Amino acid sequence: MASILTSLREAGKTVLEIAEKKGLDEAEAYVVSNKVLTIRLANNAVFESKGVHDIGLGLRVIKGNMLGFSSTADLSKRSLKKLVDAATSTAKARKLPFKYSFPKPRKMPKVAGVYSRKLAELLSEKAVELAYDMVEASLGHSKKIVDNAGVLNVVNYETLVLNSHGVLARNRGTFFEASLNATAKRGKSVSEGSEATAGRSLRELKPKDIGEKAAEMAVSGLKSKKLKEDTYTVILDYEPAQEVIAYVSYLVSPMIAKLYYPLFLDKVGKKIASPQITLIDNPLMPNGVGSTPIDDEGTPSKKQIIINKGVLKKFVYDSFYGAIDKKKTTGNAIRTSFAVGVSSFPGKNYNGEPIPFPGNPHFKPGKWKRDEIVEETQKGLLVRRFHYTRLTNPTRGDFTSVLRMGLYHLENGEVAGALKKSRLLDNLLNLLKNVDAVSDKLVVAGSWGDYAHTPVIRTKAHVTSID
Amino acid sequence: MKEDLALFAVQHGSKLGADYVDARLEDHYNEIIIVANSKVQRGIINRKCGIGVRTLVDGAWGFQSTADLTKKGIRQAAKIAFKVAKASSKHVPTPAKLAPAKAYKTSYKAKVKVDLEDVAFEDKLKQIITWEKKLYTSKKIVRGIAEYTGIKIQKVFANSEGARISFSNSVAWASLKADSKRGDVTQFYDRIIGHSGGYEIFRKNDMEKIGSEVGRKAESLLKAKACKTENDAAVILDNDYAALLVHEIVGHPSEADRVLGREAAWAGTTWWAGKIGEKIGSDHLTAYDDPTINGTLGYYLYDDEGVKAERKVLIEKGVLKGHMQSRETAAVFGVKPNAGMRAITFEYIPLIRMSNTFFGEGDWKKEELIEETKHGYLISCMRHPSIDDKRYNWTISAQEAYEIKNGELTTHLRDVALTSIAPKFFKSMNAFTKRIEVLPLPGCGKGDPMQALYVGNGGPYIRGVATILGVQ
Repeated sequence: MASILTSLREAGKTVLEIAEKKGLDEAEAYVVSNKVLTIRLANNAVFESKGVHDIGLGLRVIKGNMLGFSSTADLSKRSLKKLVDAATSTAKARKLPFKYSFPKPRKMPKVAGVYSRKLAELLSEKAVELAYDMVEASLGHSKKIVDNAGVLNVVNYETLVLNSHGVLARNRGTFFEASLNATAKRGKSVSEGSEATAGRSLRELKPKDIGEKAAEMAVSGLKSKKLKEDTYTVILDYEPAQEVIAYVSYLVSPMIAKLYYPLFLDKVGKKIASPQITLIDNPLMPNGVGSTPIDDEGTPSKKQIIINKGVLKKFVYDSFYGAIDKKKTTGNAIRTSFAVGVSSFPGKNYNGEPIPFPGNPHFKPGKWKRDEIVEETQKGLLVRRFHYTRLTNPTRGDFTSVLRMGLYHLENGEVAGALKKSRLLDNLLNLLKNVDAVSDKLVVAGSWGDYAHTPVIRTKAHVTSID
Repeated sequence: MKEDLALFAVQHGSKLGADYVDARLEDHYNEIIIVANSKVQRGIINRKCGIGVRTLVDGAWGFQSTADLTKKGIRQAAKIAFKVAKASSKHVPTPAKLAPAKAYKTSYKAKVKVDLEDVAFEDKLKQIITWEKKLYTSKKIVRGIAEYTGIKIQKVFANSEGARISFSNSVAWASLKADSKRGDVTQFYDRIIGHSGGYEIFRKNDMEKIGSEVGRKAESLLKAKACKTENDAAVILDNDYAALLVHEIVGHPSEADRVLGREAAWAGTTWWAGKIGEKIGSDHLTAYDDPTINGTLGYYLYDDEGVKAERKVLIEKGVLKGHMQSRETAAVFGVKPNAGMRAITFEYIPLIRMSNTFFGEGDWKKEELIEETKHGYLISCMRHPSIDDKRYNWTISAQEAYEIKNGELTTHLRDVALTSIAPKFFKSMNAFTKRIEVLPLPGCGKGDPMQALYVGNGGPYIRGVATILGVQ
């Protein structure tokens, strides 16, 4: 690893020197080494095992009031010279109507539990066995389980930010995500269950738990009834609550709000959720799934309240969107690419400019035990999984998700039985405003590359059957 | 690119003992410009070159990519791909087999008139700023966004069966979107222009005029009437709406890996698994996937397994005929591979993907469809899909609609969506126009890690029956 770090640093220094020689006012190099190992499971077998070791450099340059960006995977001096030329060419017509400068050096905090040597050095053979353990545990849970599909992603990243102001910030981390989708069958009845989690160290990876929980949910849905369309009291278990957090987190990014999802654009200082809802971004949380001591511009991370008792307090900022809105960066620069045809792997990516996003967002835990929320619900639904969740009208907040599995009818505080596939069709603001209970414990939940620490929440939503 | 490096990777993987090896050596150039709210938000040039090595060892797949194009780097990638496949083979009860495919040795290029790099980035940026300005047709337009993407790819494919194929591709597209507001009513309208080719598409199309049209459409929607729900309504879908519909309820469920349950943990499965040869729709319904259409976003002549591309018949006269296949899934189904495998860059293992998926033509004219409708709706331009995991129940919103009364377009409608069950809607499809359009659809997601790919989708104008939803 030392040799990779050395070569990344050398490439970063070299490109800054070239930029200075070419007369650019400021330059910033973001250099990445990102290893991803993916074991995909399908049809009760290991379907494919694949790896990528992505190394490259993203360069931003400033000349006068112009900002440019370019990236390359070739760190040779010749390529870096071309990189500076390309970044300069992108800057030529990108005149900013405001003053912009890259972040200055600041003291970096420390965050415990974001790098695990054992996870970083996990052998691919061992990863295959750990992934397959999920399948074995699911099949072992019940003879009714007929199929399993899932994934284990293991990520090991190292980044360096260097800029003309003297920022030299190193960051490294590891994480995994593991998920399994189990299918149960009895007679003509077929039902699915799933479990997914993520973590920063190998000791948090418990494949047998994942397999058993997925199987348990699948079997529990075998006797299911059709739901009657209505507006229900709905308990969103950990995974669907995480998807709500993910959407709210999108909406508090000024870039996303200005370009794509303007739902919260004019709502800072306004009530957008029930007083039960407080959204905190805490990238300094020890062992947090999104924790990081610095953001992807080298700015120190900090804990901040984004929604306080239902009132939207702020958006989160990187330096660029901060400059647009005349705010300071909040240490929320994340480099990722939404671009089509461009690689964007779990972990760190160098081929996009920073985007402001909450790093490790979570709802503040409430006072309820999860079981108490169920017990105190006389009539309603327990939703354990969302699927294909969409903000179908990003201006108005129309929100829909397929309740593909893990849907139960609650009566008198007890799970009265499973329900067939249904669709939640409501409005995100209504969901947030109707929250009347938040559980006291944060659990890591999510799916398909997006995870957060989340409690369980109870709200109201319109649900219709689609089976 | 040093083309012999792909061959070197294949030879090294074979030497290690892999039963099959292929390698994709790729050089990518990618540029992105985003202008929104009269400000340049993004101006990006990316370059990336590397190789992806795929191995089949004792029936298990392994893959490793690297941007280290030294022989040492490539040897290492091949070694890891071999090792991980070997480890995986312990847990592959049914070893993967490959359907036979001819090993082609060929080279081809997408037709390009104006190379993307021959237009100065600065000039492109200035043009896109102008397109975005045109969106603001009145004060009612509160936000505008113009996004441009251009991609050039040089690709060399080699495999252990002797295939050597090089492909030079270039794609470009731009989207223009305007958000409008009047009182509490907010609306938006967008359009995408794109193709396989160079920058000439933005000279052929008057982008400034399109920008103004998009702005005026977004304005006009403010005056449109909110749509009301109506069950089992007669609907006429335009090409653009049909493009998203065919993508979601024909394209995705036609991916053979999905049919086999291999995407169950992510996107889902397919309701028509095991139904090949069965009647699933009306006699009028035919659908294809065809990568060989020059100038479309889904254009290619050989896929990422080196299989020669052809038009795939997915549904013919209402009968489910076939799926999009890889060599491996073709062996499972006992059919010929049909060139369905693609990866977005060398860093990813190929997956079965749509190329250009579209509904086949009929013999109606658009005007006739409308004239023959006593009461119904013309549904125009795709917006957002929400589809269940089996691609059975679907809801797709549209940008606008018009009520049809006695054969004439009448009330302009906003906030409209259609919903139905796939087989029910397929059976209801009773008239297709002669003229087909295959439109650009950049942004099809699949896989883990996710691969966001550009494809083509479309069809003719289509008449059917669905529930129309007022989504207010």
